[in-house]
Amino acid sequence: MQFGVFTVGDVTPDPTTGVEPTERERIKAMVSIAQKAEEVGLDVFATGEHHNPPFVPSSPTTLLGYIAATTEKIILSTSTTLITTNDPVKIAEDYAMLQQLADGRVDLVMGRGNTGPVYPWFGQDIRNGIDLALENYALLRRLWTEDVVDWEGKFRTPLKGFTATPRPLDGIPPFVWHGSIRSPEIAEQAAYYGDGFLHNHIFWPAEHTARMVKFYRQRFSHYGHGTPEQAIVGLGGQFFMRKKSQDAVKEFRPYFDNAPVYGHGPSLEDFSQHTPLTVGSPQQVIDRTLSFREYVGDYQRQLFLIDHAGLPLKTVLEQLDQLGEILPTLRAEFASRRAPGTPDAPTHAARLAASVASGQNTIEDASELASVSSGE
Amino acid sequence: MTSVVVISAGLSQPSSTRLLADKLSQAVTGADVTVVELRDLAQDITNHLLTGFPSPALGSVLAQVVAADGLIAVTPIFSASYSGLFKSFFDLLDPGVLEGKPVLIAATGGSARHSLALEHAVRPLFSYLKAVVVPTAVYAASEDWASSGDSELAGRVRRAGAQLTALMAGVSAAPKAKDPFEDFVPFAEMLKK
Repeated sequence: MQFGVFTVGDVTPDPTTGVEPTERERIKAMVSIAQKAEEVGLDVFATGEHHNPPFVPSSPTTLLGYIAATTEKIILSTSTTLITTNDPVKIAEDYAMLQQLADGRVDLVMGRGNTGPVYPWFGQDIRNGIDLALENYALLRRLWTEDVVDWEGKFRTPLKGFTATPRPLDGIPPFVWHGSIRSPEIAEQAAYYGDGFLHNHIFWPAEHTARMVKFYRQRFSHYGHGTPEQAIVGLGGQFFMRKKSQDAVKEFRPYFDNAPVYGHGPSLEDFSQHTPLTVGSPQQVIDRTLSFREYVGDYQRQLFLIDHAGLPLKTVLEQLDQLGEILPTLRAEFASRRAPGTPDAPTHAARLAASVASGQNTIEDASELASVSSGE
Repeated sequence: MTSVVVISAGLSQPSSTRLLADKLSQAVTGADVTVVELRDLAQDITNHLLTGFPSPALGSVLAQVVAADGLIAVTPIFSASYSGLFKSFFDLLDPGVLEGKPVLIAATGGSARHSLALEHAVRPLFSYLKAVVVPTAVYAASEDWASSGDSELAGRVRRAGAQLTALMAGVSAAPKAKDPFEDFVPFAEMLKK
């Protein structure tokens, strides 16, 4: 089981002081958070991708490349990579480059993006969101698994004799998760390819997340990738903790009440009851996090959003220290509950070892996929 | 038995909007009627607009609306149109869930001068949502509550109720809104599109 943090990369004023970080301060804060995440023993750091203020991470591979150079072990991921408005050719190139530089410490979460104007800014139309996600990802896989690609589709210029360079490290493309809040089409896509499915959970009641994950698991099994329990599942979550529960609530409440995404709606108490948000003591965070597996089953990756609502960097780094302190307990408790046969979270090293052991490429259905996507 | 959900957007208690809603429910025959007062859900409706997900109570009402054979939607007329609370509630429905669903529209107001708000505001809303709107829309002004005997209002209520009953009988075999997890499109078909 992997634990990590993901950032949205918003520039939000601290509601308790009115202080708003500059873009430079926010970008550097994201780097500090990633470095601190490695220091406290977390497995994953993931960045969002946005192309409109108040968000800064428009160029995830630049950010992750910089972080890769200043870290040793942590996996660098995304939350999410826009498979709809980015050119799949550029995704193939950028992330293969990052993967080579980071010695394989890279995976991606594909997402569609729900900001309407971003689509036309990049020459697309939000009404084609699902179709873009399907076609672009089908092409991305071919670019990573086939050395020379001839391709024609609806949404981009045809390719003749094209080779995406650099090639994926060791011939193994970065592992892909598909993120979707409420579209069964995307869970179906993840299941079809045997890819991971990440439900970013943070605004959703447990029943909804459970339903999405169950659907993905059943379809994963339907497509012959293993049992439903062997599907690769990741979840989002968010917390604010202090030693004493009351201190956590008192300190976080003004942030919650004014946050762009939470504020002026439900009370902190109501929101905490219906979503994964946990504001309380370290033990409460442990108990709540352990409860997620009761409705999605044993899963592989837990990402937390902690740099939200305008919290200052100092506070976020303290949160990371506290997460580091409960991490051994979280790992031990999840391990003791885990059913035998549950797959580990994918890493480059493990996938390389499996590929070598089986004497073949790990992407088995490349030719089958090629025939489907060309309409044969 | 057919099921009818009554959405009443009156704000005061007691409310003439609820009074009209009750008269309309009684005019529908052979149906299992559930009345929803939006006032009780006002905070939940706002929260859903802000957070994107419903509270359990609101979620259950939305599910009842989707599953109903017919709706009775009653709003007070504010500023020449439906009330903001009424519109906010219908804004929360997923696209397409009212398609083909019979809906009886009704409104209350202080003066009969606003009765056409039903025709220029409420009916187009439900036409946009692809509902089948009952031909008789029922408007009740203050003076309608004072008339004695078999008033004009009572006649309109009876006619509208009978029309809704007939429409529900006619479309009861119509397909219900699809469950996205049961009626999903397999991947190979999605790719061929």
